[in-house]
Amino acid sequence: MRTEDIEGILRDTLRQEVTEATDGLLGLEERIAAELGERRPRLRISDWLRLLLAPTRAGRIGQLSVVGATAAICLLVGVFVASQFGLDRTSSGIRLTPSQNADGTQEILFVLPALNADDVSVVGTFNAWEPTALSDEDDDGIWTASIPLPPGRYEYAFIIDGRWWGQDPLADEYVRSYGEYSSVRYVGGGDGA
Amino acid sequence: MIRSKCAAAAGGVILVLLAIGTAACAEVSVSDFAEAFESIPVSDLGRFIAAAELGLSQADFPASQTLQLIGRLAATAHSPQEKEALLLNIVIAMEDGLPVDGLVTKGLEGLARAVSVPLIEQSLHQRLILIAETRDLLYAKGIFSVEPGSPQSVPTALPTPRFNLLVSHISDTLADYLEGGGSPFEGETLCQEVRFRLTSLEGATLVAADVDLVLKRVEPADLTRVALSAVT
Repeated sequence: MRTEDIEGILRDTLRQEVTEATDGLLGLEERIAAELGERRPRLRISDWLRLLLAPTRAGRIGQLSVVGATAAICLLVGVFVASQFGLDRTSSGIRLTPSQNADGTQEILFVLPALNADDVSVVGTFNAWEPTALSDEDDDGIWTASIPLPPGRYEYAFIIDGRWWGQDPLADEYVRSYGEYSSVRYVGGGDGA
Repeated sequence: MIRSKCAAAAGGVILVLLAIGTAACAEVSVSDFAEAFESIPVSDLGRFIAAAELGLSQADFPASQTLQLIGRLAATAHSPQEKEALLLNIVIAMEDGLPVDGLVTKGLEGLARAVSVPLIEQSLHQRLILIAETRDLLYAKGIFSVEPGSPQSVPTALPTPRFNLLVSHISDTLADYLEGGGSPFEGETLCQEVRFRLTSLEGATLVAADVDLVLKRVEPADLTRVALSAVT
């Protein structure tokens, strides 16, 4: 067989192969797209995290969803706290505003986070420096006591398992007394309160 | 039926009488003070009792807190002389008609913090000087006190309880400032501290017009002079 004949046979064979393969490739893109559309990939937590951090459109939408949900939860918690206590902006930041009683006193909330403490109390000018116990009923380490006080200025300190703590973050001011700090709350009153 | 109504009425009367009796017992008398002073014991009981009588005649005298202080002081292990020296500051204030609530609460705080009685005495002595000097400062500025119901001679004569509150808060502010390590020469800072304290209590325990009167008339140099009197 001559060389030209052999080349002709090979060329015909290749043409036939290519033609058959091309027929199979027709519509391949659409078929893949359709199949992917039917199959929703099951994402694991790591995939979700990767998606959130990815700079893709889907990733950005995921991030925005999480931020939005967090903001909504914070807003709901804030509305709940405000409805319970009311919020007031002071020179020292935001503090819980006491509720007014019929006898003119105001319920002053003393709050102290003290994890692993067994006994927390508050002493001050309102109780002749005799301890009033704080309670932590749900055992979350946040100790609270609500004490009705008439308008005025009150110095106080917490006692945590026998140790004095005079720097309450919710205080209006601090004073040094006998070399130690005491917190001060103003109940009622004008500019400074 | 009638018998049960009568029994209920009698029960009610007894309850009311018991309540009145309890209230009467709760009221502090001079004899309570005499008993408390004897527990220290003080060397000049007559003087202490006379001072207590003067204190009890004042409307704003913190009688029960003063008794608490004496009781807790008596329970400490210090000598009677040291205890008497501490109480003498309060007695002098009562004799002079000065407000004593700041002294009493500071004494109670010191005992609660287990501070030694001589140190508490020093603190009270400084505060007593500041109270007296503040009262004199207000007099010098034309701000006077007048017993409630008495004719008001000048517009700046305030009822005694209102006047005493001003004296208490101004002197207390100066005492806190000095005890916190502040310099008496910082007249402007002293003035700011007093302004903050008084305006914070405007409408709460202080009358706005009284606060205004003090802030208009008292100057930084006046407060420096008062503060210096307690440290020199």
